[in-house]
Amino acid sequence: MKRPADERPDTKALAALVELQRDATKPRSAAELDRGLAAVRARVAADRLRRPILLPALAVAAAVVLVAAAAPRLWRFVRAPSAAVVVQKIEGGSLLEGGYLAQSGRGGVAVTFSEGTRVQLAPGTRGWLRELRRDGAALSIENGAASFQVTPDPARRWSVEAGPFLVTVKGTVFDVDWDPTAERFDLTLRRGRVEVTGPVVGGGISLRAGQHLAIRLPLAETVITEIANERPAPPEEKPATGAAAVPVPPGRAAVKRSVARAAPEAAARAKQADVRGWQAWLAAGQWDRILADAEQAGLTATLEKASSDDLFALADVARYRHRADLARAALLAERRRFPSSPRALDAIFLLGRVAEVGDGTARATALYDEYLARAPDGPYAGEALGRKMILANDQNDHAQARAIARQYLLRFPSGSYATAARALTREP
Amino acid sequence: MSNRVSQAPLALIVGRDPRNASDTDLALALMARQDWALAEAWRRFAPMVLRTADRVLGSRNEADDVAQEVFYQVFRRARTLRDPSSLRSFIYSFVVRVLKTELRSRKRRRLLFFSTPPAADELLDGASADVESRELLMRFNALLDRLNARDRLVFVLRRTEDMTIQEIAATMDLSISTVKRAMSHASSKLDLWIAADPGLTAFVETQRRTR
Repeated sequence: MKRPADERPDTKALAALVELQRDATKPRSAAELDRGLAAVRARVAADRLRRPILLPALAVAAAVVLVAAAAPRLWRFVRAPSAAVVVQKIEGGSLLEGGYLAQSGRGGVAVTFSEGTRVQLAPGTRGWLRELRRDGAALSIENGAASFQVTPDPARRWSVEAGPFLVTVKGTVFDVDWDPTAERFDLTLRRGRVEVTGPVVGGGISLRAGQHLAIRLPLAETVITEIANERPAPPEEKPATGAAAVPVPPGRAAVKRSVARAAPEAAARAKQADVRGWQAWLAAGQWDRILADAEQAGLTATLEKASSDDLFALADVARYRHRADLARAALLAERRRFPSSPRALDAIFLLGRVAEVGDGTARATALYDEYLARAPDGPYAGEALGRKMILANDQNDHAQARAIARQYLLRFPSGSYATAARALTREP
Repeated sequence: MSNRVSQAPLALIVGRDPRNASDTDLALALMARQDWALAEAWRRFAPMVLRTADRVLGSRNEADDVAQEVFYQVFRRARTLRDPSSLRSFIYSFVVRVLKTELRSRKRRRLLFFSTPPAADELLDGASADVESRELLMRFNALLDRLNARDRLVFVLRRTEDMTIQEIAATMDLSISTVKRAMSHASSKLDLWIAADPGLTAFVETQRRTR
């Protein structure tokens, strides 16, 4: 460290203490960093739940809120359960200090509560019983899958934390799966209704029976799919190519089975030649299974024979798994083999995204231009223009970036790149 | 991000690899409040923020709280970032602001509740430092606690974070002469307090000899 001439040197003792303090600082572990990020996300999510209130409306709103709030509170007071929920039985483990649900065997832990609610943690799942109240209980899942069968009671409220997500429950039956490493959250709702809040889902998502929610934080994706009713998985779900299914960790087996049932129609289509039903696997997050299936069938053959849906699914998982060459090949095959389909146009835009990673800015910009020329009102028009703007700015072509930003704001004043576009147009 | 209800919904949702995003791209995504940006900003800058907070506060737990507050504020106020290419400085300005607030409120807490400074064990967090080092560190942090928030921040940023006087001035929104005065004031106070503590001086000498 160079010191200015007018800066006095430290005494030996002070220098030694400074050095000691500098050396003492140890970096955080990955788990500690994950916990910190989860805490920030929870704060941001909680913030989003609060709606801004305009001052002029405050007095009126406050009066309305007071009146509205009084009725249900009074109702809850009258209806409040007389006794707190207590744990009635624990099978396959025990409840340790702090509420940790420790497993004693290999079959997972099942907790039965006094009012009939039953929670089953899959083997290997780490979970806590956080709180028992008069009106319900709070549990948390740190890692793994769990099934909940909550006894319906309008006076009780249950909540389940899974990573940064909070599931608020009344009477319902559902499965939750949280994988902190991949930052994947899955919820399969079999009966009743639940509300999920957390990062990505914005103000919260209400799910109804028969829906599956999949959130992939690294991809910023939230997907809701319909699931079929309870029944054994049909044999048609096996890949048409005969590839072995990717083994599902035992802790996630229950959830994965329910997700696999998500697309019976896709499975039926899979009976036909060259239709592999990969869209259903994609929706179930089984990316590696798609890649394994494609590789087993041979990539060249797959690119020549797969359906349009499957090619797109393959391109998606290849992008998610950073296999740019395969993504590019699948998208090019889509364009070549299905030139008149709308997806051929989508492929141009997605090729641009792939080009940003591997081929360089010029190629990506050219592809975005081509997409905008051929599909000026297409579903990716805003994204294509936004990406062009970002790329121009990254290349220090600020005049071009500003010109695109102005164009973007005219066309998509509330688009996802609008804030960035405004920032660019404000610059000198 | 929109939520879709469909049989095969993923195919048309664009994925991205956040790690490939430039700092400018990341800043723009933060300004657009895109959810991936928070995680990526944390991945990229949290180690730096935590290290600075550890050194300024001498407490890992308090540093964790500060880092969370910093990123919450950054995400909430990203739209005030004027130059997307200066994301690092933008984050650092929040670090300094939050640390200053934390040091001041810590001082108030200590005055009101007579609480004690954090133990060195907390900062070292199981590191294999010897007992003497822990003791030294605890006593040094107690001395730093006696400085006012501004002087302490300037001293730590200069001495342990190796920031230049100019960088400190820009980050803390102070003039260069004020930073120099604060630095000089902090150093002479610390020298004085160390000299007045024979135990500490002896400890330092022992440590120096054994290294």
